Amino acid sequence: MEALINGKPIAFEAGDTILTAARRVGCYIPSLCELADIDHAPGTCRVCLVEERRAGQTATHVVTACNTPMEEGIEVFTRTPKIREMQKLQTELLLADHDQDCATCVRHGNCELQDVAQFVGLQQSRFANPIWAKSRPVDRSSLSITRDMGKCIRCQRCVAVCRDVQGIDALSITERGIGTCVEIRGTLVGGESECVSCGQCVMVCPTGALAERDDTDRVIDHLYDPDIVTVFQFAPAVRVGFADSLGIDNAEGQIITALRKMGADIVIDTNFAADLVIMEEGTEVVRHIRQGKRPTFTSCCPGWVNFVEKNYPDILPHLSSARSPQQCLGSLAKTYLAEKMEIDPARMRVISIMPCTAKKDEMNRPQLAKNGVPDVDVVLTIREFARLLRREGIDLAALEPGTFDNPHLGGYSGAGAIFGTTGGVMEAAVRSAYFLINGKELPNAEVTALRSFENIRTATVAVGGGLPDVNLAICHGLKAARDVVEGVLSGKYDFDFIEVMACPGGCVTGGGHLRHKKAYQAGAPKKRVTLFDIDAQRVIRQSHNNPQIQHLYSDYLGEPMSERAHHLLHTWYTDRKKEADVAVKEIRREIRLALPKAKASERV
Amino acid sequence: MVRVSYGVWDGVVRDNRGLIPVEIAPDPDLEGFEYFNDGNPIRAFIGDRGFVVFDPEVDLVDALWRHMDRAAEESCGKCTPCRVGAPLIRDALAEVRAGRGSEEGWQRIAALAHQMAETSLCYLGQSSANALLAAIEHFPEHLKPGGAPAPVDNGMSYVTAPCVEACPSKVAVPRYIDFIKDGRPDLSLGVILRKYPMAATCGRVCVRFCEMACRRNAIDEPVGIKILKRYVADQQAGLHGPIFSPDMIPTRLPDSMRVAVVGGGPAGVSCAYHLLLRGYHVDVLEAAEVAGGMARSGIPSYRLPKDVLKAETDTVEQLGGHFRFGQALGRDFTIDDLFEQGYKAVFLGLGCAKGTLLGVADEDPSLKGYFSGIDFLLEVHNHVEYGAPLALHGEVAVVGGGNVAMDCVRSALRLGASKVHLIYRRTEADMPADHEEIEAAKQEGVIFHCLTNPSRILSEDGRIVGMDLIDMRQTVPDKKGRIGVEPIPGTEHAFRCDVVVAAIGQQVDKQTLPASDGVQLDKWGCVAINPQTLVTTRMGVFAGGDCASGASTLIHAMAMGLKAARAIDDYLRHGHARFFPRTRMRRLLNENKLLSGECFEVPVAHQYRIDIPNLSPDERRRTFEEVEKPITAAEAYREAARCLRCYRVYSVVTETAVPGGTR
Repeated sequence: MEALINGKPIAFEAGDTILTAARRVGCYIPSLCELADIDHAPGTCRVCLVEERRAGQTATHVVTACNTPMEEGIEVFTRTPKIREMQKLQTELLLADHDQDCATCVRHGNCELQDVAQFVGLQQSRFANPIWAKSRPVDRSSLSITRDMGKCIRCQRCVAVCRDVQGIDALSITERGIGTCVEIRGTLVGGESECVSCGQCVMVCPTGALAERDDTDRVIDHLYDPDIVTVFQFAPAVRVGFADSLGIDNAEGQIITALRKMGADIVIDTNFAADLVIMEEGTEVVRHIRQGKRPTFTSCCPGWVNFVEKNYPDILPHLSSARSPQQCLGSLAKTYLAEKMEIDPARMRVISIMPCTAKKDEMNRPQLAKNGVPDVDVVLTIREFARLLRREGIDLAALEPGTFDNPHLGGYSGAGAIFGTTGGVMEAAVRSAYFLINGKELPNAEVTALRSFENIRTATVAVGGGLPDVNLAICHGLKAARDVVEGVLSGKYDFDFIEVMACPGGCVTGGGHLRHKKAYQAGAPKKRVTLFDIDAQRVIRQSHNNPQIQHLYSDYLGEPMSERAHHLLHTWYTDRKKEADVAVKEIRREIRLALPKAKASERV
Repeated sequence: MVRVSYGVWDGVVRDNRGLIPVEIAPDPDLEGFEYFNDGNPIRAFIGDRGFVVFDPEVDLVDALWRHMDRAAEESCGKCTPCRVGAPLIRDALAEVRAGRGSEEGWQRIAALAHQMAETSLCYLGQSSANALLAAIEHFPEHLKPGGAPAPVDNGMSYVTAPCVEACPSKVAVPRYIDFIKDGRPDLSLGVILRKYPMAATCGRVCVRFCEMACRRNAIDEPVGIKILKRYVADQQAGLHGPIFSPDMIPTRLPDSMRVAVVGGGPAGVSCAYHLLLRGYHVDVLEAAEVAGGMARSGIPSYRLPKDVLKAETDTVEQLGGHFRFGQALGRDFTIDDLFEQGYKAVFLGLGCAKGTLLGVADEDPSLKGYFSGIDFLLEVHNHVEYGAPLALHGEVAVVGGGNVAMDCVRSALRLGASKVHLIYRRTEADMPADHEEIEAAKQEGVIFHCLTNPSRILSEDGRIVGMDLIDMRQTVPDKKGRIGVEPIPGTEHAFRCDVVVAAIGQQVDKQTLPASDGVQLDKWGCVAINPQTLVTTRMGVFAGGDCASGASTLIHAMAMGLKAARAIDDYLRHGHARFFPRTRMRRLLNENKLLSGECFEVPVAHQYRIDIPNLSPDERRRTFEEVEKPITAAEAYREAARCLRCYRVYSVVTETAVPGGTR
């Protein structure tokens, strides 16, 4: 099929919109609300205006390119004076009710709205009305995500990712007119909602409306307090988090150097704790398999744990009781490490750098504290870490790579490294569980059967030791997780061990990564490959062969699931499901408030 | 006849300024524009397609400001040009209105109005500024602050859409679809509950006038409005069901304010619901032992499960009303009795309980194997629900082409008839039944015989053995283009069957209303009513639903229930029928067909409506289990997103204040 864009003949395909056809031939049309990666084109921003003339017609019409279909013989004009003027006016209108305090904005310099304003050549903002932006709420009630609705452009990408990608549906749209914005649905006192803090909404927000709660100030306070001993750890997926922005595939060494430069007292690796989790969780799973208790779900992903507690409390007994690696490391830092290094744990502050927003809320779980003192004191997302680097004047790319040097908690196997991507926990567990059962290593460390990328993958593995074959499942993304849980509850699925990661792709696409404009999960496949490369390059590929893990057990913990290990490395979960009654009286009141102003009761 | 001074409608400029009113030719196309309410002339009218000014003294800036004020208030806030443009235009017009207009200001208003009209996402934004643009283009000399702006009360604005106007109950369809899109199914249900309590029922069996009016018809397929209604009603069902309680009634009236509702069908339940919400004390007298009326006995459970219906009729009791079962008018009590018992008003929602005979030779309702359509469905209902004996043998022939006929054929299949025939005297395209119902019946194996009509009932030993049928043909169209049918002489032939079901219509059972009640029937055998107030020939007695309209739809019955509740409220508390500005505006729109004639000039992407999951024809032939299955949240979001949101604003400016509010 053929058509003309700006006078040039182009070919297009069935189902093309003007925008997709134009993009394919390299014709740029500004857009804002649309996000192709999640198949989202609500047509609300109205920036992608073009003029079109249908075959056989003389008049042109102004349409939005994102949701107007291409058709045979249509002529499209993207740069006429009229269109340029209208795009410019539209952007001016977008800015009219937008909080334009750009210099203080978390998205400054990385904002899609700023880009559009530059593209259309906007030099003024005649209609800006700060009261309009201020009339919408700033929600700081969450421990992980802040929502500044004065910066919301109503693109609804967050709503779409929450509904369509994650299947959580925690967001709803509220108010009307200038007041229209996104809220967390059915928020109860104490911030309880269906939100699991996965942060995928933050990853798609085009502006600074959604962001992680910024804890960099607290870290700076700790760094410059001479009485405080700072213990930094960073997650498997953090080291690959700068691949796109800095071009460093694995920034482990640079991150270590940067932390030391900032004045970090102790730098340890969450990868070590991943090995430790495999020892505990692997032992637990083997025990469950021997007892015939099935299935066992992983518990290292806090978004997933939130999801289960809020939606499927019935399966809580099937969640592994092992804490997540960052919490295990926090717990050991303030006990084992403090003892070994003769540091008063009260002076210690454990600071985690994570690819995850849910970790910020995990560290606040009351069961992950000792005597009211949390095991982990601050969690920074990668974005906050990058901000911290800027605030400390450090250029990560310019640093010489350093190495871990803590003799007590450090060193990791290849198994620990792959925790950061979907399937990694399962593969690591299989390597060690096989050894645990058979007393010998799995012939080939790489379990390629688990390495495809479907949202739900299953495998049946012969584990030997006289045990029946075990059924394994891996799922990533909470939509897939819901399918698996429903299948388990209905009896459709029969698995022994299930790995779940809340974010589609696992931690390499976590809600704490650096943001990209107009893209969802950019660079994620590369990050995944890098993690597998790290594994492949390790001499030691199995958690149980990590000599420091072995030493930790012989020196301190005894054996996996010992009394001490249970105390320090395991946890419990609570039923947080809420059942809302629907009182029609309340509905009627809410509708009256939601309808156009006065006298709503008289209206339809 | 009304005389236009100036204006622009559909791009046509009318300019009679300079003429004195008697010189202006009356406009035959504008019907009913003289007065809005009694003695209150309409001075100007503004809509989506332009504006007309009747009184040249009208301050046009003021009139346009009100119109844009309403548009800004109505803006859903999703798309940029409407969200921001509408309030900016409104505020700029307010400046002009206050005498602070400027040339630059007008340029800005014009640019914003163009932006809004040309780039808004939905029709509200696309249409609201059209009148303003036309005024700027053709009558700029009127866009200066004239005399003093009229008081805001002198006029009203009304927001509607084709689907809303098509609905007998005027349910705010785009509004409840908006709430689905917004992720608030609870509020979506609340919008429906403003009109009637039977949302899950309506979401299953409504005939969907809204979907017929849906503008998506011009693109691909109408939005699945009914299935979305069922979705929100089902979402909030069972444990999460809506909780009605007497404490949601704003003002309870004194104990003496008692109303009797006769008949617990859709009209009666709807009337009782709205009377209860208005604070009345309501008893519903029902001849059967269960509520629901025709919705219960006339709609098979494969279309409407009885527990779904019961949960909704129970609303009456949850709001403090009472059912008195086993109470039949004409058998157990008279209307006089009701007034003697202290009821201040009576609503008759009797339904049409008696089947119409075929009117052919040798027809005898006492023959074994002969049923009227609704008697048959009642027997089916009693069989399915209570196990009453109903053995169907051999071949069943149902005469008729409406939804009752479809319910009969599909039920007969499920009860084990060896073959089921449908006899209809016109063509299949003429059948008044829902298209989906016709298709379902065919899929399930019903044999259709169109352009065929019975002429004689054949019986032996008091039981049906068949009918004589005669072939029909279509006549040539008459002057109005109507095509009739006529028998083809000499084509009579015998048709063997064991059961005949006459499903060609129902009537009021005349025995329920003896002359002594003072409630007269009209020439069609329906209860005679004033169509505006629904009052019967007896003071204090109102009627609605099938008994007043003839056999009709659930949604019509529920609409009349609401209308009767208002009329009873007017009668008991105000002593006169109040003026409802929105009802008046609807009549103006309807009489002048102001909502029709729009087309799509730009390409619009096709998005076909969701397939409603169904039991397979094989499964459903054997069961009375519900055929249509619910849709998922993801499907509901996708379907809701198909709504084009065809809202538009209509405003009138009047001489004096409009009674009953400005909206």
